[in-house]
Amino acid sequence: MARMNWANVRLIFQREFRDQLRDRRTLFMIFVLPILLYPLLGMLFFQMAQFRREQLTKVLVIGARDLENLPPLFEKDRFAASLFSEPGKTQLLQVEFSEQGTANGNVDPRPTARNAVQIGLFDVALVFPADFAERIAVHAGEENMPRPEAIYTTATDKSQIAYARVSEILRRWTEQIVARKLEERGMPPTAAKPFELAPADVAQERGHVGAAAWSKILPVLLLVWALTGAFYPAIDLCAGEKERGTLETLLSSPAHRSEIVVGKLATIMLFSASTAVLNLVSIGVTGWLLLAPLAKASPAFGPPPPLAAVWLAIALLPVAALFSALSLALAAFARSTKEGQYYLMPLLLVTMPLAVLSIAPGVELTLGNSLIPITGIVLLLRAMLEGNYWQAFHFAAPVAAVTLAACLLAIRWAVEQFNSESVLFRESERLDMGLWLRHLMRDRQPTPTVAGAVFCGIIILVIRFFMSFTLPAPSDFNGFMVSALVSQLVVILTPALLMTIMFTSSPRQTLLLRWPKFGAIPAAVLLAVALHPVVMLLQSLVAQLYPLSSEATEMMQRMFQGAPGVWPLILVLGLAPAICEELAFRGFILSGFRHLGHKGRAVAYSALFFGVSHAILQQSIVATLVGVVIGLVAVQSGSLLPGMIYHAIHNSLAVAASHLPEYCQKYPALENWVNLDSSLCLYKMPIVLVGGFVALAVLAWFYLQPSPQSPEEQLEDAIRRGLRTEE
Amino acid sequence: MIRVHALTKHYADLRRGKLVALGGISFQAAPGQIYGLLGPNGAGKTTALRIISTVLRASGGSATINGYDVTTQADQVRRQIGFMSANTAVYDRMTAWEMVEYFGRLHGIPEAPLHQRMEELFQRLQMNDIRDLLGAKMSTGMRQKVSIARAIVHDPPVLIFDEATAGLDVLVARALLNTVAELRDHGKCILFSTHIMREAEKLCDRLAIIHRGRILAEGPLEQLRAEHGERDLEELFFQLISRHDEQHPEPAGGEASP
Repeated sequence: MARMNWANVRLIFQREFRDQLRDRRTLFMIFVLPILLYPLLGMLFFQMAQFRREQLTKVLVIGARDLENLPPLFEKDRFAASLFSEPGKTQLLQVEFSEQGTANGNVDPRPTARNAVQIGLFDVALVFPADFAERIAVHAGEENMPRPEAIYTTATDKSQIAYARVSEILRRWTEQIVARKLEERGMPPTAAKPFELAPADVAQERGHVGAAAWSKILPVLLLVWALTGAFYPAIDLCAGEKERGTLETLLSSPAHRSEIVVGKLATIMLFSASTAVLNLVSIGVTGWLLLAPLAKASPAFGPPPPLAAVWLAIALLPVAALFSALSLALAAFARSTKEGQYYLMPLLLVTMPLAVLSIAPGVELTLGNSLIPITGIVLLLRAMLEGNYWQAFHFAAPVAAVTLAACLLAIRWAVEQFNSESVLFRESERLDMGLWLRHLMRDRQPTPTVAGAVFCGIIILVIRFFMSFTLPAPSDFNGFMVSALVSQLVVILTPALLMTIMFTSSPRQTLLLRWPKFGAIPAAVLLAVALHPVVMLLQSLVAQLYPLSSEATEMMQRMFQGAPGVWPLILVLGLAPAICEELAFRGFILSGFRHLGHKGRAVAYSALFFGVSHAILQQSIVATLVGVVIGLVAVQSGSLLPGMIYHAIHNSLAVAASHLPEYCQKYPALENWVNLDSSLCLYKMPIVLVGGFVALAVLAWFYLQPSPQSPEEQLEDAIRRGLRTEE
Repeated sequence: MIRVHALTKHYADLRRGKLVALGGISFQAAPGQIYGLLGPNGAGKTTALRIISTVLRASGGSATINGYDVTTQADQVRRQIGFMSANTAVYDRMTAWEMVEYFGRLHGIPEAPLHQRMEELFQRLQMNDIRDLLGAKMSTGMRQKVSIARAIVHDPPVLIFDEATAGLDVLVARALLNTVAELRDHGKCILFSTHIMREAEKLCDRLAIIHRGRILAEGPLEQLRAEHGERDLEELFFQLISRHDEQHPEPAGGEASP
């Protein structure tokens, strides 16, 4: 990349900033909307709450009109006022009595009651057995305990509200019955309630009243508004420039593409951060004004914690940077502002589940979660808002590292978009899959296109997804063998081979079916053996970060227990994937990605597809890294064979490692090399370190080998050389 | 000095397959000369000029501006050229002064000489009355003036005009052509694409007739007339294109090669 001219970046930033400030739509979205929106929403909320409180619910009561010797459940035509927290609330439940089926107990009244609730005549029906009072009086015991039935429907909110109200009334009535019975037996009311819990909320002392609720709301709002604030300026600055015809002028100016991207990115970030700040300030002030009076009555509804502003401000910068870069790349891809607006929804659909995941019950800030982009930052913010500073401090570094990496990747993607003329000068053409597939077949090149590679990867993932639901889960080893082989042959090999035949003119060149250079095969063998202890350590680390569920572990153990020795396992898990996965991922897919013009990116993208194609997350992480190693071997050797051999040995050694306890019994000398007792490091640390160094040396050897380049890679090299000459 | 050698560009087109926009064109343009690229719509003129102005990358061949390669030394090339086309628009929310100043500063011109140069340009192009007018409120003629000022603010040795008079009324078009001629007289090397015969005839020192990505004839206008025995440029143009189309009929589908 050329050296950045910061004067140009500043110029572009100043122009774009001024341009956006002169746009009324932007000003409305960023300044006017947040200031008005939340006070209006607050007023609406209170009006709705009032409406909700005044909503009447209708209750059908069958039987139990006159319950002798029991505390009063009804007074006239309503529930007794003593059963409500506030006497005025008796009006909220409109009671209608029916004696159907209760006089002699011969007719079951429940079908009628169910029907009445189903058709909406009543919100809830209370059906008391005919002899309810008598059985209560004689204290019938557990088996004969009378069970009045509350019939309601979860299909409507109103019925659920009615049910909750009736349940609360019956709970209080039960307490009254218990108290009277105790009194009759000469026992004090405290006999049934030996103690009362005294709550002491320390949040009051630390200024964190209401923190639990706000810690879930504020981070998500920060993300939503940072994204919204980034998206609309990004569309105007990229797709809008294309539409208005000014982009071509800028591209022919001395400003480098990366300077244009950074200048625009800084503008978008500023607007993203401003939108988020104004929205949060507005919601904070509204929340503080509206909820502060409620804080004393119910701490759950307190105003936002005072320190929230500080934590949100710290988190704002990386969040705004990440969303601005993502929005910029997407907006650069769009042909027009209208098309750009369609991309907002997919972006929200990808990012929001990651944000919402953090407020799911049971999800806490752990090392594993802190490594998930967006989720990590929301969880960290949540911990800070809840006042768990010590916990937050522990995971601040991994969250910051992952967020920074995600930001850099997104910026890189945006620069790529600005360097791609097929993106900048895309012509309006309707999306037609049939036309596109015909084009792939008709205009076949020796190796697949980038789009062909992506298509193949997606097809493999989709088939795998559907097969995992349609095929029954294997219960024994034979079932597992069949399932694994079918998965390799049908899911991975077949699409790749079919596409090679249909979409390329040289299957040999596409699948790298040529003999490698001298030395590549022994080097691949050495690399697989040397890396094995490191990979095992990596697997253990990943398993500790993201532990496999106990059900999944048990299922896998059950399947492997029936294996008739190690060789069938090596055949299924070692040899078959080495052939099928290599042909697909390092053959078709990697060959397609090499048209990007960057060898490293081609290897990384093919490894990503390889990793994701492994069904279990824990496997996917390690497989992606292994995919990078095999990709490098394939690219540098110019042949698929060393990669296949590496893959077969790598998988076979992993299978063999699961039998290490048996081998150690047979060959006790092995115990000098392994740590059978350690759950983390299977091999002794010196072995891991030596293996790592040898692997690095072999990888360096592969890297230094001259390798065949695609035409795009040759062009990119020539440009880089040109830039170096200029500098 | 512009040197173009065997320049090719092809696209993958979903409907037509491999689309050859440029099939290996070569020409040279010298300082103090207006070199015209004359061709019908879709001939490949815009593609050629976009490659020369570093906006697009060539599929093959080479092009240099004052010795700098357009692909590998794009940054240097951009400092040598001023590019203006019918497609290049002005910013709606910037005034004429701000826009020209913006591009001048992107070219690294210090503030004082830049403002002095801008004063001269605004005077010469009669733009003082639109100095503070926003792009959105400008007429087509005003926009073209701003585009010219923006393209020449850094006084580049090479100027590239792509269908610059498209959509202009006669008066504005004439004023623009006069400006181009003045720039040539100041020693600039100018590449001027058009499909209007009269413009080419009146303005260009050398001409290349381009059709379906190939140069069919090239040289000074008088030389072309003598070689083909035809005085009328429009007739000459029509004959060359008809003859080429007869010899190389356009395929019904698949490769749209010239």
